[in-house]
Amino acid sequence: MFPYMRNEGRVYLSVLKSVNLTKDYPGTRALDDVTVSFGSGKVNALLGKNGSGKSTLVKCFAGAIQPTSGTMYLDDERVSFSSPAEANHKGIAVVYQEMSLVPSLTVTENIFLGRMPKKAGRIVDWQAAHREAKALLTTMNADIDPRQIVSKLSMWQCQVVEITKAMSHNPRVLILDEPTSALASHEVNQMFEVLRALKKQDVIIIYISHKLHEIPEIADTVSVLRDGRLIGQEDIGDVTGADILGMMFGEMQHKTRPADIKPGDEAVLAVSGLTREGLFEDVSFELMQSEVLGIAGMLGSGRTELLKSIFGADPYDAGTIAVKGRPVKRKSSPILMKKMGLGLTPEDRKQEGLILIHSIRDNLCYASIDKARKGWLENKKQRAEIADKQVENLEIQVPDIKASVNSLSGGNQQKVVVGNWLNTEPAIMLFDEPTRGIDVAAKQQIFEIVWQQARRGVSTIFVSSELEELLETCHRILVMRQGRITGEVDPAATNVKELYAMCMGGEA
Amino acid sequence: MNRLSQLNRKKVLDFLFDHVVEVILIILILVMGNISSTFNTTANWLNIFRNMSMKGLIAFGMTMVIISGQIDLSIGSTVALSGVIVARACRDLPGALGIPVSLACVLGMAIAFMIAILMGTIHGYAQHKFRMPAFIVTLASQNLLYGLAGILSDGFPIANTFPDWFSRIGVGKIGGANGLPIPALILFIFFLIMLFIIKFTTTGRAMYAIGGNPESARLSGINVLKTKIFAFSAVQVMSVLAGFINSAQVLSGSYSFGRGWETDVITAVVIGGTSMAGGIGTMWGTMVGIVFLGVIINGMTILNVSVYAQYVVRAIFMSIAVLVATYRAKKKA
Repeated sequence: MFPYMRNEGRVYLSVLKSVNLTKDYPGTRALDDVTVSFGSGKVNALLGKNGSGKSTLVKCFAGAIQPTSGTMYLDDERVSFSSPAEANHKGIAVVYQEMSLVPSLTVTENIFLGRMPKKAGRIVDWQAAHREAKALLTTMNADIDPRQIVSKLSMWQCQVVEITKAMSHNPRVLILDEPTSALASHEVNQMFEVLRALKKQDVIIIYISHKLHEIPEIADTVSVLRDGRLIGQEDIGDVTGADILGMMFGEMQHKTRPADIKPGDEAVLAVSGLTREGLFEDVSFELMQSEVLGIAGMLGSGRTELLKSIFGADPYDAGTIAVKGRPVKRKSSPILMKKMGLGLTPEDRKQEGLILIHSIRDNLCYASIDKARKGWLENKKQRAEIADKQVENLEIQVPDIKASVNSLSGGNQQKVVVGNWLNTEPAIMLFDEPTRGIDVAAKQQIFEIVWQQARRGVSTIFVSSELEELLETCHRILVMRQGRITGEVDPAATNVKELYAMCMGGEA
Repeated sequence: MNRLSQLNRKKVLDFLFDHVVEVILIILILVMGNISSTFNTTANWLNIFRNMSMKGLIAFGMTMVIISGQIDLSIGSTVALSGVIVARACRDLPGALGIPVSLACVLGMAIAFMIAILMGTIHGYAQHKFRMPAFIVTLASQNLLYGLAGILSDGFPIANTFPDWFSRIGVGKIGGANGLPIPALILFIFFLIMLFIIKFTTTGRAMYAIGGNPESARLSGINVLKTKIFAFSAVQVMSVLAGFINSAQVLSGSYSFGRGWETDVITAVVIGGTSMAGGIGTMWGTMVGIVFLGVIINGMTILNVSVYAQYVVRAIFMSIAVLVATYRAKKKA
């Protein structure tokens, strides 16, 4: 890497570099011999589909994990971090997608959390604090009142405060994890103003994003990872959107579902004009008997909210839902939808799908609590039977069915969530990101379960941001973007690049 | 062989650790029996159970509420109000309606039970539908019911209005003068009933679910509202029962009864290993907690330890129990 000139005539030399960086996890190599460097004064986009290794790389830089082998350099000084605090101390700041602000405090307090300027020993110097906060915000090109309470700020303003907080430590590296993913399109431009102001400072910006169409507008370089390897690093002027997609996905052929599963002619679920303000709008589709219907959409596209509203867990503002021709009344609930034959495995299995402190057996029987009973009493024998049945059918690896479900691996926990619902003998299953955070073998088993259920006549909606998965499992895929169904594709007639471009709203 | 015995020792240690409250209780009983010749007599034990019967009954209901992830601080006022209602009914209804005292008494009891279920339903609704913290809702009820008891009794105890059979609920014994006190009998019967509900019914299972993770329970299609209402009503009904026993023992109803009982009740439930965070706990544990509290109070009274020192000892045991329970939960996670 060369030192290079930027505006104001100053020479910037800051470089963050990894050399032959490798990270092994049991069974997988998340990072494979990655040698890459990022210079200061530019926005370095880091791209790659889910599981490509980009978050592993960032975690190594941030000290959250330690590489198996390889080295990292910050300005030719060899660095290694045993903890995020250590990386932070060396000047590496990460702004994660999840907000870490305290909503009830002012912008100033959030920026200087735990280190408010003081006078006369222990008394907070509010004047100086607000003044310094304002100065910091001004260098960021952001017009935000430091006295404002954070909960009253808009999303992009929160994101900017978060970045300002990170910048107030004068970091040498600023890693931004999808800073625009939660923003509306008009907010993105304001966010970019802030990033452009940041470029004037001597800081290395690493910018992770899924929104491909934003990249040419804001990034100076793009680095693409795939399957743990660095595919390439290019100046933004040298590549087209199609080039980037090609680098991200390669020339892989996607697998397809078994041919024997055919959707029927009868619509078991009909959704029409479903709207929940601010989250999804005018969603209409039909789900056929035995069909596996995919919904492709990125985080924040409204897919999770849509499933929850269909399932009666959340309200909706307009539209109708009908199950097997029977209209669902407006005041719905999971209790009612369960009776109508629906089941939902939620996106966040730990917080919404499981009761972690309870046993595996209990967790397999909660949804079917009203089935395994004799009058008022629980049918202990039947409970044990249906729990054992799922453990066997789904091949859940359990040391002891009475052990807490918390002791299982992610894949096995997911199977418990699925088994909990299969015990209700559903006619329609809604899967929200069922493969998130589980290993390849467990993923394949989840697909097998979906297909097996389809053969038995169960209809499935499969939501995932892993597009290859949808192409592999589904009969039909709906594309969801910004709360709307924007297209429908046949998995046999498309590829992952096209689907990705459709989800992102960019050109292929 | 050596390894096997090591394994066994570990198992024994684990078992003792899991039942640390029971172990301490047994040691306490043995020590007390050695110090005092009157402690380990049938009469004294029946006395312990009679004394703990009222708070014990409420603790069974409170166990359901706490397992469901909720709390009820209004129970003391329910104790007072239920006694006042029955006392007043026995005093005024015979004259006003021209009915016998016994019928008036039964009417009063029925009204008290209906108020209990009404309060339980209100607590469940307020907490579930309006997301009001149970702590605050039931604190408000504590004031409300206390005030109502004061209004209904005009600020004075209503004494000597009960029919004989009602006072037997409080002071009667089965099997002669040294027999089983009726309050203790009621305690045992309701222990079995509540144990059965929490252990063998789907409602009991649902309580653990909504306390363990309310969102997962809701998304599993469990009727969260109904379950909460059941638990909140159970503790109120138990409090009404306790109020009857209490008033029957002292032959009067007063707004001042039951003040502060929630502390002892929650202490017993917590000593029994029920998690204040919800989702974990047993009826058996609560029974142990009740006996524990009873033994400490009774033993120290026999030893002539001052009431205030008793509170200090209680505090120490409660802290130990919670410390052990927290440590155990951490180890298991």
